[in-house]
Amino acid sequence: MERGMDHWLLIFSTLLAAAGAFWGILSVRQGKRSRWTVIWMAGTFLLQLGFLTVRGQDRAACPLRDTGEILVYLSWSLTLFYLLIGPAYRISLLGVFSAPLVVIFQSTALFPGVLAVSPERVANTSPWGETHSAVSVLSYGAFALAAVAGTMFLVLDHQLKAHQMAGGLFRNLPPIRELLTSLGRLLWLGLGLLTIGIIAGLLMPRNGSMAHLIAAIAVWFAYAILLLVRAKRGLSGRSLSLFTVAVFVLSLAVFALI
Amino acid sequence: MELLCLGLNHRTAPVEVRERFAVGTNKLGAAAAEIAALADVPEGVVVSTCNRTEFYLAGENAHATLERLEQGLSAREKLEAEISEHFYRLEKADAARHLCRVVSGLDSMVLGETEIFGQVKQAYNAALEAGSTGSILNRLFQRAFSVGKKVRTETRIQEGSTSIGNVAVDLAEKIFGHLKDSQVMILGAGEMSRITAQSLVSRGARSIFVTNRSFERAEELARDMGGSAVRFDDWQRVLEQVDVVISSTGAPHAIIKRADVEMVRRARKFRPLFFIDIAVPRDIDPAVAEIDEVYLYDIDTLEQLAEEARTRRQRQITECERIIDLELKKLNLPGT
Repeated sequence: MERGMDHWLLIFSTLLAAAGAFWGILSVRQGKRSRWTVIWMAGTFLLQLGFLTVRGQDRAACPLRDTGEILVYLSWSLTLFYLLIGPAYRISLLGVFSAPLVVIFQSTALFPGVLAVSPERVANTSPWGETHSAVSVLSYGAFALAAVAGTMFLVLDHQLKAHQMAGGLFRNLPPIRELLTSLGRLLWLGLGLLTIGIIAGLLMPRNGSMAHLIAAIAVWFAYAILLLVRAKRGLSGRSLSLFTVAVFVLSLAVFALI
Repeated sequence: MELLCLGLNHRTAPVEVRERFAVGTNKLGAAAAEIAALADVPEGVVVSTCNRTEFYLAGENAHATLERLEQGLSAREKLEAEISEHFYRLEKADAARHLCRVVSGLDSMVLGETEIFGQVKQAYNAALEAGSTGSILNRLFQRAFSVGKKVRTETRIQEGSTSIGNVAVDLAEKIFGHLKDSQVMILGAGEMSRITAQSLVSRGARSIFVTNRSFERAEELARDMGGSAVRFDDWQRVLEQVDVVISSTGAPHAIIKRADVEMVRRARKFRPLFFIDIAVPRDIDPAVAEIDEVYLYDIDTLEQLAEEARTRRQRQITECERIIDLELKKLNLPGT
């Protein structure tokens, strides 16, 4: 079947993210700041937006009806939060770490069978259902970016512990305290969005399995406990980062199974 | 017109010779005009820092100008004959290449240091204002500045810190970002602690706590640093609130043990803690580094990191000189 405009937008957006990742990694290896990453990612974001608009028009609903759409929407929200948070915190390297994740998600979406070639129009959409899907996946964008910040922390923490100061990566990584601050804020943002998503999910008309809603509530509890422990008792940066990455990977795996 | 340079630096002359030729920043313009008059040439610039004094001149015949300048200096300063042995004499392209090396930090005591760029610029501006520069030296200095910038941006000549104090500051900034919100505790009021703490203060660290077995010494250092003195028995209490600990006591055994840090972890809410142990024997038990949020650096590690940075800079010299030669060839400067 012939590929539509949406597929081409997705292919080009994936290529831009790949270029961003490639140039970012290259400049880090050369010991330079990856100044262009934000531009590549902004281009990626616009093409993702184009894809979601076309799919949304085809579906006449929020384009979150198959795994491919969910993956692209997740990549879009990750890119959105990176563009909002990265430059504000002067975390240029966040883009270099985010871009490969976007490439992985979108490349998976491009696998045959993952993204419907001819999306069907959705009948009987519910505003609560639409809000639930859109806001929940948006929260995963924030959690994904928090996991990226956590990974950056773990890399820098290892370098500092091992006394490895040489190299472009060490020079370009933002300070430990800045990473932990942005990681914490992203988790709070994700939790806030997921709360709205779950409330909307509870209010939407239900037909069939509630497995994904139960999984979302379990994920909400996991992040809420993590943030509560951090606020009340305190958590070392390493534990916070490891839990953030682990909960994100685990929740992604659970949703993939569901 | 030909270009020449007469100068002495930290490699060719000891400090007692260098200080005789040192020129204050506010006298650079007048000195440039004076030197040009002494050599009987229309253009002159005097560069003077704690490590060097150099006279750049443009005259009809470099060799003859050099002789006139040396004779003039000897007569004016009543110099002993052996003083001239400390001077280097460079003509035409060699003088231009030398200035580019100086501006790029390749001729500095600390290879690749950045301060020299501003110092040469200041010297040139002073000469320009005094009216002692013309087409030859104006072009030379302006080109040298752009070559210097190119060298610094296209190579890693200024990468890394080459002193223990700066390595410690870089690490602190890598952990805490801006140091203005960071609190520092100095354990042991030794000279090394003072120097390292001063580096942190110069980058914004504000709250300094000083503790020492002799409380009077602690008070004295605290006064100097604008901090507060703490009784030695109280350092564990202060550990709860600080971000950086600089330790350099003369104790024959470890002062800070893993259990001491474990005890304050909850109260600190597991915030990052940076230990700088510059004492020999070491003050901080190495097992402290096993705690998640602790980053421990002893004197050997800091010195090794500084040495690695120096070696990395050394490796850049060939590349820097290649850029300088290439740029000078392209520029085809008058007087060279």
